[in-house]
Formats: sequence, structure tokens, C-alpha cells
Amino acid sequence: MEAIKYYVKGAFQGVKETPPVLEQQEELIADLTAKVADLVAEGKSEEEALGVAIASLGDLSALVAEFEPGEAAIVAVPTANVFSNRLDLCVVAISAGVGAAVMIGSAALGAFSSLVMPGAGFSLLAVLAVAVWWVRAAYLRYQDAPRAVEVRELVYSQRFRRALAIWAGVSAVVTLFNAVSGTDFWCWPIWVAGGAWALSIKVEQWAAVRSEFRAPLAHSDEHA
Amino acid sequence: MGETPISSDLIRGHIDTIVLGLLSVQDRYGYEVCKQVTVLSDGEYELKEPTLYSAARRMEAQGLIRSYWGEGSQGARRKYYAITPEGKVAYQRNLEDWKRARRLIDRLVSSQTEKE
Repeated sequence: MEAIKYYVKGAFQGVKETPPVLEQQEELIADLTAKVADLVAEGKSEEEALGVAIASLGDLSALVAEFEPGEAAIVAVPTANVFSNRLDLCVVAISAGVGAAVMIGSAALGAFSSLVMPGAGFSLLAVLAVAVWWVRAAYLRYQDAPRAVEVRELVYSQRFRRALAIWAGVSAVVTLFNAVSGTDFWCWPIWVAGGAWALSIKVEQWAAVRSEFRAPLAHSDEHA
Repeated sequence: MGETPISSDLIRGHIDTIVLGLLSVQDRYGYEVCKQVTVLSDGEYELKEPTLYSAARRMEAQGLIRSYWGEGSQGARRKYYAITPEGKVAYQRNLEDWKRARRLIDRLVSSQTEKE
């Protein structure tokens, strides 16, 4: 129910939206929703139930105040995200470096011998890069994903957008270079690698959501 | 909701023990704990959610309980609390303390009226 969300968000106004705060809000919203559902089951109208549930909460200010002063310094970005951003950067830098070396090397060799094609070197590199990204994605599944749904949405959508932007940019530059240099069609592995990177972020997000529900449920749901 | 019939000051110091006791039976989510308190007290005491959340945050920091997200009823997720081995030890200790205190206070408050 939207009204519950508005009420809770309103109560936490002025508090920095750190992961613990968002988790507390989500917990409060979930519990209030269950309470309203109980009251409606008892025969109250939805509006009546909402009023009773909110009134019985009492004063939220003491709870809200617990978050404000001490925890304002907490960084809003979870460490797993910072870590994976850094890893992204390293992978991109290494791939670009090796790619440039292979291209220059094979272009130089190609000038002397027709046996080495720049395209072949690049295809190999693209396959390697995709492999590295997949290993990295697998590793990250062991990392703590941010627990609040809203934080996670924020983190993953930001990473996904950036991956798409980098992919589009690199693909455009490489394609242009391919067209201008008039070499054979060697830029496609880069499209694939970049696309796979963006896709791996979506896979990670999905894995994070799934792993959460693998937490043991000690008892079956009584409200079902 | 109106005044609760019993002074909440008398109960406040035992909220941790009450919550630990409820969690030693099974894992529960916040609202479930509050509801169970109302049921067990026949409506005489109402544990407010904000009070519970504060207690839970504190006890989680102390390692007495832990929390995890589980699936709720309508696809929404819910935060469940579970007692840790340390929490079980603390619960037993609190329970013994309370029993001793109860005997002592019983003796103290009634002897005073008898002597005067």
C-alpha cells in the first residue's frame, strides 16, 4: 500500500538514506502491511485499518533519532560495490592494454607476413575478456550484496547503465576505426564482450535476489 | 490506542528477555513478535513496533540475535529474527535473574506493609 510507504518515508525525513535506514524502512513497511492485512481480515475497512495500525505504532521519533547522528558518516555505497567498480576498471584497463599490444603487434607482423591477421588476435582477446568477466561475476556472487532492495536497485541500475554506455562508446569508436582503416571485420568480438559485460551485471543482480531467498525459513508462513 | 493497563516502565527493563524468549521458540518477524506479546498478555501489554526495532537493533549488535530476509505473504520480503547461542545463554541468565528478583521484591514489598 502506497499510503504506508508515504507514512514511513515521511517519518524518516531528514535522515540520511544509508543502507541500515533503508532496511529499517522496508521492515517497517512490511510489518505495517501485515498489520493492516490482519485488521482488514477482522472486518475493518482498509482506511480504518490503516489509521489503527499507524496510531498503534506510536511515536517513531525515538527510533528515527537512533539513526541520525552517529550513522550519518556511513558511506551510502556498499563496499562490495566499490570493490567491483575497482575490479571493473582493472579488467577494462588490462583488456585495453593487451588489446592494443596485440593489435599493434599483429599489425606490425602482418606487414611482413600475411599469416597473422589483426582480427584473429582480437577475437582471442575478446574470448579471454569474456571469460575474465564471467569469473569475476561468479566471485561477486559470494560478496555481500546490499540487502535493502532499494539500495540494490540503485547500485545495479547505475552499474548497468554505465556498462551500456561504455559498451556503446567503445563499440562506436572501434567500429569507426574498423571502417576507416578498411581492415577486415574484426570489431565484432568487442561488441560481444561489451554486451556480455552489461549482461553479467543483470545476472549478478538476479543471483543476489535469488541467494537472499535461500536463507532458511524456520517456519512456514502463518499468514498465507 | 489508549493507556496500557500496566505501567510500561515496569516491563521496559525486561523487553529483551521477552523477545529472546519468543525467539527461542521459533524465528519470527517484527510484527509477529508484537502480536504474540499482545496475545500472551491477553491485551494487557502492548509492545510497540518502534520499541521492538530498537531492542532488536541493539541485541543484534550484541550478537544475541541475528536477522535475515525471508519471503512474506504477498511476494514482499520480511525481516526475520533468530536467536543465537549467545542469545540463548543470555535468556537463561535473564530468566534466573528475574526469578530471583521476583522472590526478593515480593518479600521486600510485602514485609514492609506487615511491619507498619
